[in-house]
Amino acid sequence: MNKLIKVIVPVVLLALCLKVDAQFIGNVGDVQMDERELITMTKQMGQFIHRFNYEEDQYGKRLYPGDKDYRSAQKRKDVLPLLFDLNNQRTGGALRDFFIEDLTKNNNQFMEFLGGKWYSEVSAKFIWKGKVVDISMIMALEKEGLGSKWVISNVFFSEFQKYFPHGEMAEREKHFLHPMSHELDFMNIYKVFNDPQIIEYYASTDYLPDYLTLFFYEIKQGNLKFDHVENVKFHIFQIDNWYFEVSWFNRKGYNAGWLISNLVYLKDEEKEALLKIYQPKR
Amino acid sequence: MKKLLFAIAFAFFALTGYQAFAQEPELSPERKQAIDSLALEKVRDLSKYVKLIGSKNTPWSEANRVIDRAEELFAPDAEIGVSSLSKTKVEYYKVRQYLERLMRLNYDRVEIDWYKIQYVSDLQRQPDGTYVGVITIFQTFKGYDAEGRLVYQDTTKKDITVYVKRKETQIGGRLIGFWDVLLGDMRVKETAH
Repeated sequence: MNKLIKVIVPVVLLALCLKVDAQFIGNVGDVQMDERELITMTKQMGQFIHRFNYEEDQYGKRLYPGDKDYRSAQKRKDVLPLLFDLNNQRTGGALRDFFIEDLTKNNNQFMEFLGGKWYSEVSAKFIWKGKVVDISMIMALEKEGLGSKWVISNVFFSEFQKYFPHGEMAEREKHFLHPMSHELDFMNIYKVFNDPQIIEYYASTDYLPDYLTLFFYEIKQGNLKFDHVENVKFHIFQIDNWYFEVSWFNRKGYNAGWLISNLVYLKDEEKEALLKIYQPKR
Repeated sequence: MKKLLFAIAFAFFALTGYQAFAQEPELSPERKQAIDSLALEKVRDLSKYVKLIGSKNTPWSEANRVIDRAEELFAPDAEIGVSSLSKTKVEYYKVRQYLERLMRLNYDRVEIDWYKIQYVSDLQRQPDGTYVGVITIFQTFKGYDAEGRLVYQDTTKKDITVYVKRKETQIGGRLIGFWDVLLGDMRVKETAH
């Protein structure tokens, strides 16, 4: 209960202390309306990053290097709890407190827009061979030319994954071409094609299927057609030993917009393995 | 020979021009603020136009003229992607198409108001060097029937792409640099607010 109060009180105080017209340069609107909910809402992912780093004060004013409170550890301690989805047990409690402690202890862990290791997951509906299917496209920011761009770094599509089941090691070890096959003009190579379901067992032990190429191939073949985007979220691996997810919460109240929807303590070694899935070619 | 000289001169200017662009320093906070104000000015114009186009008091011909003006704020290929709480699939419209739909809405009276809150993102450079940012604004819409009853209302979040490019123009024989701001795709999302 105490913990809940610790989180809710700053949210309410923040909302109450915000003046309606205190934010930003000039205004688009000219009608007096209650805007406190919209002010507290984390409206863009960029704003999430600024709030996460405390590069924006509680009134929405941008802070720059040299400003007194720029990236202030104390202010981050106050603001970071507000960037969590407060209705989610998984991101609350001790885990969140450890995360914030890690971030502010030395206060040297920040999110960087062009710092890599953060991805957007675009969940979309496609039509595949006449039926509606779900495909997640993993997007990564890549530097190019004078700036940067989002690129597709991988896709998750259950139908592709089904083609490449991991398989038991004992079974995998039964399928190989012996090392003297070359002397027989590879007369045994027909075995590779006997069972198409396990053809990849004859590839290198390090072989990993390239789902992105399969995806492009299916699109080019006309088998797969884009329909629409269902949802967008972000996966962030930039903070040492932590992974978190940021999702959009379209709801009333002072805890809305882009918020942390999942938080996992993840050793950097384990993180590397995950990063290979998100962005196989780094 | 002339052709060769021309080619060399062209290559030289193209290269030095490119280098000047490539070496353009990152935007200082002051410059960024100045550009934000320029971009916000365009968004403010758009909000005024939307109000006029939506208003049933604006004569048809005038509304059409305002649509022309509004269209000029956008890049030629800009699109508007609209979703609501009940229909999350994004519907795409060309700018003109979107504004014309707004003009033809079947209400007897319409109230469109803009919240004073807005959020202006950082400007990031895309590969060709053009800066791109997003301005978020919020709008309330109310539609009334002939008896003056409120029959529809919503609050939408509008995320508007802003392209900012450094350009030069000749004034009195002197080259003057300026920042050209153009609006791009706009995402319109109904909020639960």
